[in-house]
Amino acid sequence: VVGYIARRVAWMFVLLALVSAVTFLIFYALPSADPAALRAGRQASPELIAQIRTRLGLDDPLYVQYWTYMKGVVLHFDFGFSFQTSQGVREALVSRLPATISMTAGALVIWLVVSLPLGVLSALRRGTPLDRITMGGAMLAISAPVYWLALVSLYLFAKDIGAFPIFDGANTYVGITDDAGRWFGSLLLPWLVLAAGFAAFYARLLRANLVEVLGEDYIRTARAKGLTERRVVWRHGVRAAITPIVTVLGLDIGVLLGGSILTESVFNIPGIGRYAFDAIQSADLPAIQGTVLFAAFFIVLANLVVDIAYAFLDPRVRYS
Amino acid sequence: MTDLRAANARRQRPLRLVLLGAGALAALALGACGGSSSSSTGTSSASKAPGGFLAATPVPGQKRGGALKLLGAEGFSHMDPGQVYGQLDYMITFATQRGLYYFKPEDPQNQVPDIADGQPVVSADNTTVTVKLKSGIRYGTNTTSSITGKEVTAADVKYAFERGLNPSVGNGYEAVYFPIVGADKAKGGPLAGITTPDAHTIVFKLTKPFGATTSRALVMPLTMPVPKSYAGAGDQKTPNPYEAKPETQAFTGPYMISDYQPDKSITLVRNPQWDSKTDSRPAYLDTIQWTLNVDPNVSGRQIFASPGLANGDTPAAGAVKRFATQAKDRITFTASGNRYVAVNTQRKPFSDVNVRKALAAALDRRAMLLARGGSLVGQVATHFLPPTIPGYAEAGGDKGIGADYLANPAGDPVVAAKYMKLAGFTSGKANGEKVVMLGSNDSPAKETAEITRDAIASLGFKVQFRLLDQGTLYSKYCQVTSELKKIDICGAAGWIPDFSDPFAMLVATFSGDSITPTNNPNPSLLNDPQINAAMDKGARINDPAERAKAWGAIDRQIVEKAGAIPFDYDLPPNIVSSDVQGVIAKWNASWDLAYMSLK
Repeated sequence: VVGYIARRVAWMFVLLALVSAVTFLIFYALPSADPAALRAGRQASPELIAQIRTRLGLDDPLYVQYWTYMKGVVLHFDFGFSFQTSQGVREALVSRLPATISMTAGALVIWLVVSLPLGVLSALRRGTPLDRITMGGAMLAISAPVYWLALVSLYLFAKDIGAFPIFDGANTYVGITDDAGRWFGSLLLPWLVLAAGFAAFYARLLRANLVEVLGEDYIRTARAKGLTERRVVWRHGVRAAITPIVTVLGLDIGVLLGGSILTESVFNIPGIGRYAFDAIQSADLPAIQGTVLFAAFFIVLANLVVDIAYAFLDPRVRYS
Repeated sequence: MTDLRAANARRQRPLRLVLLGAGALAALALGACGGSSSSSTGTSSASKAPGGFLAATPVPGQKRGGALKLLGAEGFSHMDPGQVYGQLDYMITFATQRGLYYFKPEDPQNQVPDIADGQPVVSADNTTVTVKLKSGIRYGTNTTSSITGKEVTAADVKYAFERGLNPSVGNGYEAVYFPIVGADKAKGGPLAGITTPDAHTIVFKLTKPFGATTSRALVMPLTMPVPKSYAGAGDQKTPNPYEAKPETQAFTGPYMISDYQPDKSITLVRNPQWDSKTDSRPAYLDTIQWTLNVDPNVSGRQIFASPGLANGDTPAAGAVKRFATQAKDRITFTASGNRYVAVNTQRKPFSDVNVRKALAAALDRRAMLLARGGSLVGQVATHFLPPTIPGYAEAGGDKGIGADYLANPAGDPVVAAKYMKLAGFTSGKANGEKVVMLGSNDSPAKETAEITRDAIASLGFKVQFRLLDQGTLYSKYCQVTSELKKIDICGAAGWIPDFSDPFAMLVATFSGDSITPTNNPNPSLLNDPQINAAMDKGARINDPAERAKAWGAIDRQIVEKAGAIPFDYDLPPNIVSSDVQGVIAKWNASWDLAYMSLK
């Protein structure tokens, strides 16, 4: 197991290096805004723009710029500074990570708590009104665009602008260390919005998997051996049906830790997603590079955790 | 866009920028100003503009104290007074720093002394500008340091100009408005062209007789003092601390930046070193907090429903509609800059003035204005100087020069055909010759570009049309001269003047001298010797009436030569909560934080 994890970690770093190189190449190969010109402003002379370009190292050969960047990342965990805000990218990401983790963790809890029981229940009550209502509702939740859902939820339930003022609204986020109560209150609505689509998708996925698994021969054998229905369903059915969900879960967590742009934008939660969006808008390469690496790191890490978890969930899986 | 303003805005991105969010105004289905007064909030009639809208000027008896919160979608471009060059940036900078001169909110045309003591003195030969400084203006800082409480001197203003040429600051407009002796070679070191005979006198020696214009540009934030002893070491670094950590600046304004989280929020608190005896700003509010990255649809509703709020940048169309119909006395519209279609005057077919006039005649400018939000947020333009800039009346006022190719805002195919025939197209239409046009994929610039494309096609040309991301469009194409030479039309441009003067409005966009390899603000590539000479002459005129007359004539010349096609004078909206007394700095078409108050 240790050898397997070591190999995967090594590959993780290779992958991150590749991702960073590709980001660099894309930024330079495709038409994108000139950071020096954007920074210099409207009437800046060509000489001034050239000086700024030199100051930012943008006129160095591409490989030199990449080498300088990677050296900073590897040796000092330094991601450079934003061309636009002049703020350190590492500081920006670190300051925004708690908000993104808060968003992801809370939504994750909600969507798992909701989706797993509903998925199992629907599978066990297949074809009943309960199943139809649950799966129909899930389809609606999947179909609703997050941006729209977030706005509607604010217009309906936010304390300041909602028709039924129940939850804290937009612009109310505070850090958990500043005020845990307000932190929780400010995130309740974003959690529900973010979790809605995921919960619906997971419930449908689990239901489909479980329905299929419950039709397998070994389930019939288990029942024939006299096991209780509860044991058959949970020990043999759900355990097998949930394995593909863990795969998706790992990817989703990784993606969300890389930033949930729309939800963060509507609720004005200062997370990594919004930072990435702004960076792309302003051709801010250091910020783009930093967020891409962060997102890639979380996705790769989540995949590693999922692969390790596989063996515990499915005895047929072996590390190799 | 293809809107130079928005292009330069950062996410706002922008320059003297701004109306990024103006995209949100598209399709605002409202009539022109007028109608009955609305529900309201107890605002005095004196504070109402025509149509019942908020006048947004200072009113007697404004209350002192309290906290104002602004909600905005865009972040700031810069924080360093040596770098700031955008509408939002100015809102903060002019509340926290004081320059030589400024504009009172209700008067965008007459500069008043700020840290200066009296008006600038321009020498008879127009090459020297002398300014006296007030005594008793002191620096405030968040953390006590050697500069805290120290008096501002002329040397600090001199250093502000010197550091503007340092690439770690990189001021964009210094070379345009301040042709100071030695500036062409300076990179942050001493400037021989600025002398300080004593602690309260500064003298600018210019390389050409340009004092009439330079003296008017002394309202720019570059004139805000920066003490070398305090900022000098940081100015050698990249990033520059004055920009990266603006809370460490030495402040001269009524407020200080106490906290700045890029793209999250900024907080202003009172500057204890500010002395109201030296300043006419009332500074009613105790604190000002600006939350960034707020969804404009949400913030519009919050400002409508909650107390103590104002918009930071352009409100969403839904919010404008709601305020304009349900709370007229909480929304104000302020004239700002212009918008126009820039046609390449150096490339066929638009190198022919008659083809340019034909396009002007074919263009449905009324539809373009509607695409931007309609008559509530703009006015169909007939020339390039907007109503708030001296020279507007001299250029023809609302009617313009009376040219037939601009007479019908909805377009006139007959007139268009007439000019096509004059250009040699005997049928009145082209024969499918190719025209290359780029535009922004961001609404409403996308829609205005499409209207332009249709007008070109109606003239018989085959349009090769491509939409691009706004930042890319400008920094890679529409401001890069080598690329512009391959393009016939780069979307639609726009300009907000740096200060209320026709020079600041027309030179950058239509002078041949502005055609630089990169960051070219003249996408028409107009380089007309007569117009260039007239601009050079106009820049030297100091008498306000003569100056307005000269620049009005230049504006007419540009229209006569169809250097571009004007289609809109912007009237961007601003909104406030019911308990907020909004005051607009008309020169910047945005809130003047040092004059706003709670009710």
